[in-house]
Order: sequence, then C-alpha cells, then structure tokens
Amino acid sequence: MELTTIAKRNNPFRKLGGKIMRSKYLILMIIPAIIFYIIFCYVPMYGILIAFQDYFPKRGVFGSEWVGFANFAKVFKETKFWLAFKNTLIISSIKIVISFLGAVTIALLLNEIRMRRVKKTVQTIVTFPHFLSWVVVSGFVFSLFAGSGAVNSIIKIFGGESIDFLADKGFFFGMVFSSDIWKEAGWGSIIYLATMAGIPQDQYEAADIDGATRLQKIWHITLPGIKPVAILLLIMSVGGVLSAGFDQILNLGNNPIIREDVNIIDTYIYYHAIEKSGNEGIGTAIGLFKSVISFTLVIIVDRIAKACGERGII
Amino acid sequence: MKKGQLERLPLRARHSNRDTRIQSLDIVICVILIFYAFLIIFPFWNAFVISISSEYAYQHSNLLLWPTEIDLTSYQRVFTNNRLWSGFGITMILLIGGTLYQIFFTVITGYALSRRNWTGRNLVMNMILVTMFFGGGMVPYYCLIRDLGLMNQIWVMIIPGAIDTFNMLLMRNYFASLPAEMEESAKIDGANDIIIFVKVFLPLSLPMLATVGLFFAVGNWNSWYNAMLYIDRGHSNLWPLQMVLKDMITKVSSDLDVGTKEDFSEGLTMASIFFTIVPMMCFYPFLQRFFVKGIVVGAIKG
Repeated sequence: MELTTIAKRNNPFRKLGGKIMRSKYLILMIIPAIIFYIIFCYVPMYGILIAFQDYFPKRGVFGSEWVGFANFAKVFKETKFWLAFKNTLIISSIKIVISFLGAVTIALLLNEIRMRRVKKTVQTIVTFPHFLSWVVVSGFVFSLFAGSGAVNSIIKIFGGESIDFLADKGFFFGMVFSSDIWKEAGWGSIIYLATMAGIPQDQYEAADIDGATRLQKIWHITLPGIKPVAILLLIMSVGGVLSAGFDQILNLGNNPIIREDVNIIDTYIYYHAIEKSGNEGIGTAIGLFKSVISFTLVIIVDRIAKACGERGII
Repeated sequence: MKKGQLERLPLRARHSNRDTRIQSLDIVICVILIFYAFLIIFPFWNAFVISISSEYAYQHSNLLLWPTEIDLTSYQRVFTNNRLWSGFGITMILLIGGTLYQIFFTVITGYALSRRNWTGRNLVMNMILVTMFFGGGMVPYYCLIRDLGLMNQIWVMIIPGAIDTFNMLLMRNYFASLPAEMEESAKIDGANDIIIFVKVFLPLSLPMLATVGLFFAVGNWNSWYNAMLYIDRGHSNLWPLQMVLKDMITKVSSDLDVGTKEDFSEGLTMASIFFTIVPMMCFYPFLQRFFVKGIVVGAIKG
C-alpha cells in the first residue's frame, strides 16, 4: 500500500500533471499566443516548401509538383532580379551609415544645447515625422519635387531649368536617402540621447578639472559612452540589410517610368509574385534566399561583435 | 553642476575668452538645430500652403511660401468626399477595435511569459524568439491569408496583428521588473494567477500599457499595407484612410471620383494629407513622453 503511493508520487507524468495544474491559469493565458505564432509565423515557414514546387493554389502545398531548385535557377537568370538585389544593397548600406551619422549628430547637438525650451521644442518637431506613414511622406516628397513644386520653383528663381526629379533613377536614390533622414533621424537620436544622459557626470567633472574643452569632452567621454549602444544597433541593422524599406520604395517608386529600375528585393517580390498571380514559387524562392542571407549575416556579425568583446544579441 | 564647479575654480574664471568660446558654440548649435527643425517643418508648410491655395495661385506663382489668397475649395472637397469618409470610418474601427484586441493578447502573453516557474515557459519563449530572426516571407504569408479566407474582409487588417513581439517583450520585461513578492503574498491570500494579473499587476503597469497602446494606435491609424495586399479595388469601401490616400496620391489622374484632370488634384491631395495627420499633430506633443519611454526602455532591456 505504502509502496504504491510512493510509486504514484514519483510517477514523472503525475509530477508533470501536478505542475501544469498549479500553473493552469498562466498556461491558459499563453494558449492564444501559441496558436497565434503557429498560424501566422510557423505555417508560413512551412510554406517555404513552395519554393521547391511548381505551386498551384488549388492543389496546395501537399498536391503541387516538386521541381527541386528550378525556381531558384529561373530567378537567378533574371537580370531584373540582380538589379533589385544590387539596389537593395546600395540603398540599405548607405541608409545604415547615414541614418547612424544623422541620429548621432542630432543627439550630440541636443545633448550639448543648454537652452531647455529650444531643446524640448526641437525634439518634439524632429521626432514627429517618425509617426507619419510613408504614404503621407511620399505625398510630401511628390509635392516638393513635382514639376511645379517648391524645389523646381527655387531652381527657376535662380535661373535654372526645371528638372523632372520624379522620373530619374539618380534623383530617386537621393529622394530615398533624404526622405529617410527627414523621417527617421530625429527619432533615431532618442536612444543615443538617453544613453548620453546615462553617462556618469563625474567623468565630465574630472575632464573639467583637467581643462578639457567641450569638443574634447565630446570626443573622449560622450562618444565612447554611446559606443556599446551604437554597436548593438548597427548589428541589428546589418540583419536587415536585405530589407531596404518596402513601404518607402513602394510609395516613392510608384512612377511607372522608373518602377522597374528602382526595385528592391521586397518590391520585386510584390510586383512579380503577388500582383501577378502564378509566380508563387519564384516569390517564395526569393524570400527564402533573402531570409537565409539575413539570418547568416546576423549570426556572423554577432560572433564578430562577441569576439571583439562587445555585447551580442543572440 | 558643471557650471558650479567652474565658478568655484578661480583659475578657470580668469580665462574669460574660454567662456565666450563656449557662448559662441552654444549659438552655433542653436542655429543648426533650429535650421534642422525648419527643414522638418518645411514640407508640412509647403503642403499646407498648397492645400489652402487656388489652382490659379499654385500654377502662376514662382514659390508658394505664403498663400496669396486663402481658398478653401480643396478642404470643401475633402469634407464632401465619400471615399475619404468611408476610409475614415474603417480607420476608426481599426483604431478602436484593433487596438483593444492587440493590447489584450499582447499583454496577457507578456504577463504569462514574465512569470517564472511554469512548465514549458522556456519552450514557448524560444518558439517566439525564433520568429524574430526567421520567417516564411511575403508570398507564403499571402498564401496563408488567402487559404484562411480572409481576403477582402475587414478582419484581415485586425486578426493577424494580435501580438507584436517587440511590444510583447516590452510588457514582459516591465512585469518581470515589478517585485515578485506581491505575487507570492497574493497567492498566500488565495488569489489565482488571473486575479493576481488583473488586480495586482495590471493597475501597476498603466504607464507601460499606455505606451504599448499608443504604439498600436499609431500603427492602426497609419495602416495601409494589409489593405493594399489583401483588399482589392472591388472592395475599396473597406480601405482605411491611408489606403484611400495612397490611391489618391499614386493615381491622381485616374477615372475615380477624386482627382479628375480638370480638378486641382494637388490641392485636394494635400488637403487630404492634412485631414489624416492633423489628429496626430494635435495629440503628439502631449503623448511624446510615452513613445520616448517605450523606445528607451525597449532598447536598453532588449
């Protein structure tokens, strides 16, 4: 009799059951999340199999014919795809650099300014555009750079010819970078500003006693102080190097004249595999190609950062 | 503090040229920042002037920095435009219903994951973290939405947004930072986990709840992506405001009831833009601190 109760108590399934019963309400609270992540994150991951199939929506992932790497071979032969790939790398790497420099510069200026009211007002103004959608920002950009817009008016005042900014690839890249700075640099500065506020004041006091100038203090105290956060954010942005900003490029690059020339990977997928049906296999193959590269990049950069003694992300 | 230190040092005080150099640097910084703020404001101002100008003034003046004469026709057309009002209605549904729905699921998930010692917590946590680094991509997701039968339904803009991993982790970290003793003492008093969550932890996390809620609200107000992908032109009465606006901006010269060629489409578009951003401009200065808090806490802890 006693032996059976001991056996019952030590039964691992019973133990597990008891544990689950004790936290039954927490498990009840997590069940929606489990269902949500399985449906909206893991089912699409399973859908990656489409990349290796001649996919027909009616037959689904189960019934479609397997074609191996044929979709990849087809994509990699397209010159337009490689153009989109190149555009993505150019746009996102330049964006990473300039948005970093822009955010740090604004943070430094806001950190150094002593007029509190100016600081607060400027901060409110420069962080606001982050909350606009790219739809609105593209409306602003078009109205500024249109044939009879403000920029062309200024050119005409100085005696120049009006320029068709919206249909030129070079100017398009310029608009992408400047609108990105306009929208995000102020918001990006917040995190650096918060880090700067966390640098111990006694370091600055010690520098004052040693007779350091303001610029020296910025160079030797403030900038080293934000280095860990800067590295962390740069690592995270490297993972997104193949996402050059779908929303932005889609809204700004809607002009049919340049649309195909300024594609990035994501807009390429959208125009070729979602707007046009029947290309699901190709679209999924490109998506998989992109995810694998991004994932590998994140891991590599994380390892490098850890090897250099910085905090990683994984 | 720094200034006090300087005044106490007589040697420093004698270097008066040093003080003036600091002063001039201050002015330089101030000028740069104000110039930058001006660059931020200019597109708003430019759009605003166009929206209150007549077509004649827009076409015939060199640079519209100031409205030559105020003409509110564009706004009149905005307020009598059925598509914009229907978009506004859909956006309000998303803003209220969608935001509450997202807060509910994001917060309960964050709470459950913030509690230690329950079976399977690490498993669920890892399952969620994996999705931050790897995903299926746009096309399989599109196929999923289609197979779920959500195409051309208002639900497609609400249901898939239930949990945002970033905001969920923000809530989780906040709950985890509250003292665990409260939970223990409530347990001794016989409360179960749901009661502890609702009566003890939720009232203490209202500021963080406001931050997360505001992020969701802005996302819903600006929502157009799901509508573009999953709601076709035939069901454009389900388009939210931003999608209507996007359609207006990109197809100003189409045969739709807005922006036919004879109309002043530039002015109408700018007036519609103001129609969508004025609510945010009014609220932002007062809500700014919540947003800032969210990003600072999120980045430091995450």
